[in-house]
Amino acid sequence: MTSSVPRAEPPTVADAIEVGAAKAKRGANKQVRRAPWLLLAPFMVLFLLTFVLPILAAIGSSFTKVTRKGVFGELGVETTFAGFSNYTQAFADGTLAKSLGRMLLFGVVQVPVMIVLCTVLALMLESASARWPGFFRAVYFMPYGVPGVIATILWSFLYVPGLSPLVGLFDKLGVQIDFLGEGTVLWSIANIVTWTYTGYNMMIIVAQLKSIPGDIYEAARVDGASTWRIARTIQLPLIRPALVLTTVFSIIGTLQLFAEAQLLQSFAPSITNTYTPNLAAYTTAFAYNDYNVAAAQSVIIALIAFVLSFVFLTLTSRRQR
Amino acid sequence: MADPTDPAAPPGGAARTAQAPSALTRRRLLSLGAAGLAGGAASLLSGCATPGTTSVNTQPTIPAAGEPVRLQYWAWLKDLQKVCDVWNAQRPDIQVEAVWIPGGNSGGYQKLFAASAAGGSPDLAQVEFRSIPEFMLVNALVDLSRYGVDQYADRYNKALWQQVSYVDGVYGIPQDSGPMALYYRPDLLQRVGAEPPATWDEWAELAAEVRKIGAYLDVFAVSDASGFCAYATQAGATWFAVDGDHWTVNMTDEATLNTAAFFDKAIDRGLVSTAFTLFSPPWYAAAANNQIAGAVTASWGDALIESVSGGAGKWKVAPMPLWQNGSQTTGYGSSFIGGSTAAVMADSKHPKEAMEFAVWMTTSRAGIDAMIANSGIGWSPTDSYIGATRQQPSEFFSGQNYNEDVFVKMATEQNPDWQWWPLTTQSFNILADAFRRKGGSYTLVDAVRDAEGQIIEAFRNKGLSIERRGSSS
Repeated sequence: MTSSVPRAEPPTVADAIEVGAAKAKRGANKQVRRAPWLLLAPFMVLFLLTFVLPILAAIGSSFTKVTRKGVFGELGVETTFAGFSNYTQAFADGTLAKSLGRMLLFGVVQVPVMIVLCTVLALMLESASARWPGFFRAVYFMPYGVPGVIATILWSFLYVPGLSPLVGLFDKLGVQIDFLGEGTVLWSIANIVTWTYTGYNMMIIVAQLKSIPGDIYEAARVDGASTWRIARTIQLPLIRPALVLTTVFSIIGTLQLFAEAQLLQSFAPSITNTYTPNLAAYTTAFAYNDYNVAAAQSVIIALIAFVLSFVFLTLTSRRQR
Repeated sequence: MADPTDPAAPPGGAARTAQAPSALTRRRLLSLGAAGLAGGAASLLSGCATPGTTSVNTQPTIPAAGEPVRLQYWAWLKDLQKVCDVWNAQRPDIQVEAVWIPGGNSGGYQKLFAASAAGGSPDLAQVEFRSIPEFMLVNALVDLSRYGVDQYADRYNKALWQQVSYVDGVYGIPQDSGPMALYYRPDLLQRVGAEPPATWDEWAELAAEVRKIGAYLDVFAVSDASGFCAYATQAGATWFAVDGDHWTVNMTDEATLNTAAFFDKAIDRGLVSTAFTLFSPPWYAAAANNQIAGAVTASWGDALIESVSGGAGKWKVAPMPLWQNGSQTTGYGSSFIGGSTAAVMADSKHPKEAMEFAVWMTTSRAGIDAMIANSGIGWSPTDSYIGATRQQPSEFFSGQNYNEDVFVKMATEQNPDWQWWPLTTQSFNILADAFRRKGGSYTLVDAVRDAEGQIIEAFRNKGLSIERRGSSS
């Protein structure tokens, strides 16, 4: 801006111009300061409206309570501050705690299995002796392209006795297997989730593997390191951030499990309406019309996801030091 | 990452210069938009009172428009628009448009509740009998007695009318129902040399015989309490009632506990399967394999049984088995399961016109026949006309004229005192969760007792007053 000020002006005017330039500069500073906000505005407005406000409304709603008089509230309806009563009610019948426990069990088993599986796949695809790595990368990633709903329906036909060739095969071998029973259906869901997300997590790890500079490998090979040794002492430590990231995503994803359980409900009588925490909140809000308790349940789920992710991050970063 | 010299890169530079002159306007637009959104957000926040806490039925009634009106009817009935078109052709002054929603609790109610909470519900909505009080609780329905619906009361089945009447009001027009009967496979029954059972005791004996040829006479749904509820209703139970300004409950009367004990025994003896539910994919697989010899279910089950592969000509229908007390039969001949109403929603601007359409649809011959032909509705709510196509024998059901032979009688032999309550869905879920624990020393009888306590608790949590009825507590 200041460069546009003409230099050949007579000195009498120069003062005035200098003042003008300073003003312009201040104005420019102001504009510069305002620019990021303007550029951020479209995002911020939507972020506030679709993210921050609903969260605040949910937190507010979780602290209110509706009291009715008469058989349908025809004698008056009151909305009052409830303190923590919705939270105690959310835990009172034990179903939410049970569903949280179920997801914990699910996460403790499924997340490590999936992370190990996707790490092994990534290391194999990135190893020097891999054949057609591009093709196999695409194949492993493909299940992620199948929407969760469709994946569940596909798998359910492999689970349902009488329709499933798997159950039929086991039957012929004399093994009675029930994929949808009370004790097994959780692992049938875990199988669907693993099938869907292993390829996706593998991609994240592959990306990190690709960013390892080639000279490190070269130096290792000069030193006579085996493939196994390279994987253990070079690749695994260097893909640590990707592993941490995929694990945190998986922990959060586990707590948010919903579609698979809800869809399998029509095949498996053992899946209750409070089978997963999100299913419980959904049922409370939209089947029982108890928005306040549902809000409390949602806040609890979010807090637990936050705490678990935070604990995991603290643990992993402490070990790094 | 993108290479600026890449010829394939979008001509961003050109676009930027082209947009430069309009930048100010756009910026202003943005700020205007932001202000507008902020205003919207403010009104959103101020509207954050819990939805469904004001009632339309205390406001003055809305008179007939006196000019052509357009109505919307949200329902999960197939091809409902074709039914509306029959009406629309006769009544240019009231034009009805059908909008499809998912069935009941699988998404339709969620949508209706959300629309109602936002003040944008349609004129009419398909609401199941058992869900009417739930919609009333969030003030989503219009009391039609204020629009003169009582003049049509005698056209409808008595027990059904009772199920839409609450506290001096009428909150829905019965649209279809499902009187229950016994569907059975005569060929499988013949293999054990039996006739369809007349009583539940005979049914249990037969079920044991049928197990010997590798089939089940029925399934018992631990995950869906509506079947158990219907059996208890048939036995004479009335779980909920209104007493003045509060609810009364008795889920542990003799009729209910006897029903629970009966099915306890049936499950313990392995007479019924609890591994899958009626009409679920595993059920169809078993039925196609001749492993299902019967099913006690509603009249609308006929269409579902017709989709059993290879089932044509193999099924028949008999009356529902009766409950017995000693040598005497007790309770009622049958029970309704399922069935819906056309309810006028609170946000309707033309409740009177909406009611007129609903009454035509459910009581006129043209309406009923169109509903059966296009939408395949359940049993007609009008005792005097079951629909032309249902007066003929069915090829699938072994040439039996089963509707006139069996269901006409079943529809009239109903428990007239049964009423639904505002927490039906939740109560059924509580019951189902308790039923799922069945096994070992835990019985269905225990489950019903436990569930009753939890349901009372749920009522109180909603701020509703409720008391236990009877002295056996």
